[in-house]
Amino acid sequence: MIGVAEQAKRVQGGKVSAADAARETAERLKLAEARGLNATLHWTDEMLTAEGRRVDALRAKGAALPLAGVPVALKDNIVTTDAPTTCASRILAGYMSPYDATVTTRLRDAGALIAAKSNLDEFAMGSSTEHSAFGRVLHPLDPDRVPGGSSGGSAALVAAGVVPAALGSETGGSVRQPASFCGIVGVKPTYGRVSRFGLVAFGSSLDCVSVFGRTVDDAARVLEVISGHDLRDATTVDAPVSPVLATPGSLRGLRIGLPTEYFPADLDAGVRAGVDRAAAALKALGAELVPVSLPHTAYAVPTYYVLAPAEAASNLARFDGARYGARRIGPAGDLPSLYRATRGEGFGPEVRRRILVGTYVLSAGYYDAYYAKAQQVRNLIAADFTRAFGTGGVDLLLTPTTPTPAFRAGEKTADPVSMYLADIFVSAVSLAGLPALSLPSGRSEGLPVGAQIIAPAFGEGRMLAVAAALESAIDGTAEVR
Amino acid sequence: MSIGREEVLHVARLAELDVPPGDVEGLVAQISRIVDYVAQLNQVPAGEHALAFQAGPPAVTLGEDTPGAVPLVRGPESFAPEFRDGLFLVPRLGAMEGE
Repeated sequence: MIGVAEQAKRVQGGKVSAADAARETAERLKLAEARGLNATLHWTDEMLTAEGRRVDALRAKGAALPLAGVPVALKDNIVTTDAPTTCASRILAGYMSPYDATVTTRLRDAGALIAAKSNLDEFAMGSSTEHSAFGRVLHPLDPDRVPGGSSGGSAALVAAGVVPAALGSETGGSVRQPASFCGIVGVKPTYGRVSRFGLVAFGSSLDCVSVFGRTVDDAARVLEVISGHDLRDATTVDAPVSPVLATPGSLRGLRIGLPTEYFPADLDAGVRAGVDRAAAALKALGAELVPVSLPHTAYAVPTYYVLAPAEAASNLARFDGARYGARRIGPAGDLPSLYRATRGEGFGPEVRRRILVGTYVLSAGYYDAYYAKAQQVRNLIAADFTRAFGTGGVDLLLTPTTPTPAFRAGEKTADPVSMYLADIFVSAVSLAGLPALSLPSGRSEGLPVGAQIIAPAFGEGRMLAVAAALESAIDGTAEVR
Repeated sequence: MSIGREEVLHVARLAELDVPPGDVEGLVAQISRIVDYVAQLNQVPAGEHALAFQAGPPAVTLGEDTPGAVPLVRGPESFAPEFRDGLFLVPRLGAMEGE
């Protein structure tokens, strides 16, 4: 698979046309379908042909296209005008958005080919992509295992070599966790770095459009294009966007923290070996490794599972049969009955569970005990990071991305809390709104394991440069046990 | 079980969500498990006056209070199946009965 920079150079320089690139992408999508990955929810030859023609026309006008002819898959909770947006839910089956998301527009303007809409856990709620109304996504290396979630379709397409980069979304680790499971790079930007306009809302104070790449450079180039202020999202920041930085040859002077809470005694041996290897490589490059403490880490998952369902219960109230997608008339034949019947039939089990939990923690009798308390704890979790990165502190943090490699399909579906704990090392960063990435750090018995690098707010530039240096120093596909 | 059947049905009514009778017992067990799990937050010493979190760095908490509408991506006529003389055309009341 050709990387983002090389592909853009080929197409921009006229070596191949974008139409040819679109045809090649369609062939790879067909092969992925034949393998039964179930990673896409929508793509057509016609859609890709039109994308190729559009990009060739832009090139003919002399436009500078940093992603010329680069195929990029979009998680199907990012709206597009030329394909349905379903969020992998029956309640939105066949829904066509009347507008493109800001990230979709920016990719198109940069010459990217929107290749496919990818499968996900319904409304991005899940950690395995088993909660899609349209069937689970298979792990590209082992079909009995999950690719992670909720952006499992995008991760599988990148890992299978169908596209060099893809967009996912993170609310509590939904790009970094599947990146780690699939052995690719997953980058979550700072909250406010990338517009959420056109990303179907799940937890608005947490949601971030995020990027998968085969390499750090692939992901960084796509992130650069989609970043920046947007009038249509008041939480975006009018600050310079990090350019793709040259890979540093030395990390001398850099202080990297290893938080003790992320290395528990029961951490999977392969995951630990992968992070130890990454730490050793960073040290060999000249970085200083420093033990640090983030004492409220253990409360990140319970905090997340109060706040995210609360926000979801509010955001998903709009799907009521009156305005979007499917509609069911209830037995009473009145409007409240239409709402209840449409929502009861349209949402899958995990979404229903989270709406009920969110409604419960927001209800008058329990608001202070759960929601208000979780907001306070969220502040304590964010303060842990502020202290670690504060004066005299560290520049970056290094942790495992997940507690285990990819688990088997069906292994955690009966116990929601056990599934939630798959995100134990990624949810704190989401609560604090910080940037972080997952980088392949090796394989354990054939399954990828990942190392996570966490940076202070708007520190994507340094984070990506250090990750690129680490990527050059270690073989992310080598066995570590 | 920290949450009973009636409480789950009450919350489902608040959420405007039909729950099939056969799913209720399972939901009671699962939601109880989740609520019991998140209740560990009460062990965290955070005084009653502790600040609640605001998403994003301080700079992004509030936008500028600038009057004026954000421009539409396309003209309003493209957002509705029918549009005439600056107005959206909608079906007459009652025309959608039986749908």
